[in-house]
Amino acid sequence: MERIAIVAGLRTPFCKMGSAFKDMSAQELAAYSVRELLQRSGVDAKHIDEVIFGNVGQPSDAANIARVIAVLSGLPFTTPAFTVNRNCASGIESVVTAALKIQSGEAQFILAGGTESMSNYPFLFTRQLQDILSDLNRAKDFVSKLKAIVRLRPSYYAPRIGLQMGLTDPSCGLNMGQTAEVLAKEFGITRQEQDDFALLSHHKAAAARDILKEEMIPLIPSPKYKAAVESDNGVREQQTREALAKLKPIFDKYSGTVTAGNSSQVTDGAVAIFVMSESRAKQLNCKPLGYLKAFTVVGVEPARMGIGPAHAIPRVLKKAKMTLKDIQAIEINEAFAVQVLACLKAMESNQFAADFGYSGLLGNVDRALLNVNGGAIALGHPVGATGSRLILTMLKHMNRNQLSTGLVSLCIGGGQGAAVILER
Amino acid sequence: MGKAVFYHLDQDVATIEFNDPQAKVNVLTADVLRQFNAFVTQAQNDAKVKVLIIRSGKKDVFIAGADIKEIEGINTTDIGMRKAQYGQNIFNHLEDLNIPTVAVIDGVALGGGCELALACKYRIATFNEKVKIGLPEVNLGILPGFGGTYRLPHLLGITQALTIILGAKVVSGGDALKMGLIDRLLPQVNLDEGLCDFVNQIKDSAQRKALFHRRSKGLKSFMDNNPIGHVLVFEQAARNVRQKTKGFYPSPLKVLELMKETFMAPREKALELEAKAFGHLVVGDVCKNLIKVFYLTEHYRKWMPPQCADLTPRVIQKCGVLGAGVMGGGIAQILSYYDMNVRVKDINFDALAKGLQAAAKIFNQMVQRKKMKPSQATAKMLKIGTTLDYTGFADCDCVIEAVVENMEVKKKVFAQCSQNVAKDALLFTNTSALSVNEMAQAVNNPSRFMGFHFFNPVHRMPLVELITGKETSWQTIADALALVRRMGKTPILVKDSPGFLINRILLAYINEAGFLLQEGVPVSVIDQLMTDFGMPVGPLALSDEVGLDVGIKVLYILQQGLGERFKPAEIFVKVFERKLLGKKSGSGFYVHRTGGRSPNKVIESLCAIKPVAAQQYKELRDRLLLVMINEAARCLEDKIVDQPGTIDVGMILGTGFPPFHAGLLHYADQYGISNIIDALNFFKERLGVDRFTPADYLKNLHLQKTGFYSGKN
Repeated sequence: MERIAIVAGLRTPFCKMGSAFKDMSAQELAAYSVRELLQRSGVDAKHIDEVIFGNVGQPSDAANIARVIAVLSGLPFTTPAFTVNRNCASGIESVVTAALKIQSGEAQFILAGGTESMSNYPFLFTRQLQDILSDLNRAKDFVSKLKAIVRLRPSYYAPRIGLQMGLTDPSCGLNMGQTAEVLAKEFGITRQEQDDFALLSHHKAAAARDILKEEMIPLIPSPKYKAAVESDNGVREQQTREALAKLKPIFDKYSGTVTAGNSSQVTDGAVAIFVMSESRAKQLNCKPLGYLKAFTVVGVEPARMGIGPAHAIPRVLKKAKMTLKDIQAIEINEAFAVQVLACLKAMESNQFAADFGYSGLLGNVDRALLNVNGGAIALGHPVGATGSRLILTMLKHMNRNQLSTGLVSLCIGGGQGAAVILER
Repeated sequence: MGKAVFYHLDQDVATIEFNDPQAKVNVLTADVLRQFNAFVTQAQNDAKVKVLIIRSGKKDVFIAGADIKEIEGINTTDIGMRKAQYGQNIFNHLEDLNIPTVAVIDGVALGGGCELALACKYRIATFNEKVKIGLPEVNLGILPGFGGTYRLPHLLGITQALTIILGAKVVSGGDALKMGLIDRLLPQVNLDEGLCDFVNQIKDSAQRKALFHRRSKGLKSFMDNNPIGHVLVFEQAARNVRQKTKGFYPSPLKVLELMKETFMAPREKALELEAKAFGHLVVGDVCKNLIKVFYLTEHYRKWMPPQCADLTPRVIQKCGVLGAGVMGGGIAQILSYYDMNVRVKDINFDALAKGLQAAAKIFNQMVQRKKMKPSQATAKMLKIGTTLDYTGFADCDCVIEAVVENMEVKKKVFAQCSQNVAKDALLFTNTSALSVNEMAQAVNNPSRFMGFHFFNPVHRMPLVELITGKETSWQTIADALALVRRMGKTPILVKDSPGFLINRILLAYINEAGFLLQEGVPVSVIDQLMTDFGMPVGPLALSDEVGLDVGIKVLYILQQGLGERFKPAEIFVKVFERKLLGKKSGSGFYVHRTGGRSPNKVIESLCAIKPVAAQQYKELRDRLLLVMINEAARCLEDKIVDQPGTIDVGMILGTGFPPFHAGLLHYADQYGISNIIDALNFFKERLGVDRFTPADYLKNLHLQKTGFYSGKN
């Protein structure tokens, strides 16, 4: 089967929720990254066979957001598009789906990516208020209008916050932070370890600021067009252990260890990536950044969703007939510091390998190879976009350092893990 | 004249079709009206006919209006009145038929065409984008004379009718349906079937009543339906008209006076007054001049040099803009508005952000005025990409440069740009005065290079001055003409020379205002001289708008290229040294504050201001006008432009030169060439300066006893 080439990619800076991109929709952010990727690569948009974008909190004013992005970025109207949602791995799902489509002969060149505007997650009406409003709307005469109005109660006005609901697992009832606390207790990971990990993430990201600019477009955000955003705004150069230690646990007030400081940031951002068959890349004179070697997704218990990578990584290694030793760089998405640390602990444990039949595949993860340019704790985690960002960041890193294999993995809300092996 | 109107009967439905085989569009000449009337009579006398349909055989045109040539030829009030009455009688005849009548509008229905439709009981239009319905007579200095001032308020209410007639508004099919001007919109594709259904509905009187019960609601209805409302509506309209026309245009005032009197009056009386008012306006100078302007603008809207006739203009899909200042931002906006992809380059993000802000501001205004939805504005803004390098320029069809007005900088920018764009990309400079030929030296392919002079603000000003260099190819000219027209603007072709056309004439005039000022004429008097003449702003106020730094820079360029007659007035140099540049610096010839301006005492103290007697006004104004006419003559003499019409269109669209004077050179013809020469000589001797020496071109006209416009005037 033909190899799948990742030819080029570009992303917006990642900006904290409610900051520079707060008035930009997810489709607008994505359209910027697509437009600029086309300009920089010089590839003619008419060659694109299909557009696949990942997005989690799908905006109600952009049903099938991928299609909206395609049209907004000036792609020909004839280019079809669809949206994928695998929660936190949506940005991986789009690339993987592109690969499958190409391998099945349905396409040769797919524009993939992911986008998320967490600033624009809606506040929702309560069910009671919805009912009253729709009755009011239907009421034809004054009396029935009045009847509807008198049913209103102050408590009905309390909004239901879309972001909160999206980050809560509907089956086990825990929100993502609470699932992280579950892992902290189970694996005995201390607050100190988590804060150290978070601090390192900021320091690495700060040191890599210029390097990361290579994968980014400076963006002058609408609608005010005040000043350009040239890099990720969540990275704290001045982050200290003391500052982190001062933060209170959010999800478990008394015995918890997970704080805002050692969790990923809630962020807006978008990524666009060209996925082609190797031969199409040659035809179009594009030099690939690298190739997709193997990928996998596994299910885990929803209440322990953070452990996903510890299961996805051995399976993808097995698929690629490799072991952890063959991997020259590894990205594990930092949804929570504790969740990454739990995965590392599990992967280092012989018992874990034996229990699940991963023997021989895993072992110690060389920390020097892990998340070398920082992770979501510093850069942010726009859920639909992160998967694509990890692939792009990894490929740029491999190219800068002449590495031949890299591995990318994420935990997925709802209880899954995804992993991808890249080569060049 | 041949047969232009046709009649046929299909069972019980009669159709009158306008389709003059000799003409591209249908117009209502006296003869066409006569033919039409005969068929109305035929339908009336045929008992079989249950419905009468009136339609057009021309694509995208119902009836474009009355014949403007006929209107132009009317030279007595009486003839004018009788012409109006002739049409009125025929439309009355149509209105009085006992059977339902339907006008089928699948294109332009303007003026008389709209009035004909108004005399029908029903009007339907198609979803064709070309559908345009309205009464734009006021633009020609007249008023609707075939019953429009009477029938429109009865259909739409007085408020709406006044808005349309006074504003010479032309509405789309969708808007016409919303306001009740038409009864139905039908798809163009199955028009005949749709029409058939419609006819069946109106044949049945019960269905007819249920379907076409018209009722207006809300405040408008209140204003339309009671005497207090009427007073208020007319009051408000009169205030708007006075403010807009400043008394220079008699027709809107006449419309108000007429409609106030007629809209409650019986038809016969109303139409008689309408015909009278029409006759009165149609012989006026303003009407004749506005018709000249109409011909001129129509001509330049489509005009092509013969060398371009066979060339296919390039369709611009992507355009680069260099420099994101006020002009660059404005240019980016209009390009994206007309669906071109834009790449704007500047040297830092702050500049780019300012450019985007400028563009976004214009789109936001459109959203506020409901001309566009917010999501459409977002999509348009997404067409504008910004960059600090030449990323995305390689596949641009054309690049418009709008960096600072400095030859060295522009040359450097073009040399660099040439390296980064395709060989066949068009390169345009938006310079207002710098030599296009000199700039062309910096460019790889000078045949693809020319000047593309937008006026500020870009989205408002309807003129683009295209400046041809020595090596500019005809293909490039054809491409540029098409691009200007795609942006809904009018192009004029000007040969490269200092100041090109518009700024050369305008700066001669502003400089003369400077001379008047240093001779002691007060600032406000100088400006009033010209606003009284009909200019939208006086010369010194204009300088304040643009900035004296810009003006004086152009004057130096003109002085260097064309001689001492353009030497900046002393006072300008002094004012410039004191950095009193105008609005941008807070004060210039005026002190600008929020809410108003007042003449700047500092400047007036520099030039021994003395009061001017009103008797002197004409002489002073003549100096300002004649210096322009003389310079315009020199432009023709130097063959900067090929004909006087170019100058008139340019001055009207580029500077707001009053259309009711029909343009600078039409005005000159009316003034009389020999009078002009006498006056110029008089000023020359009195002031002892060369700039009033009559141009040879003027002297030649005088010798040949002709005017700028081949002696017709």
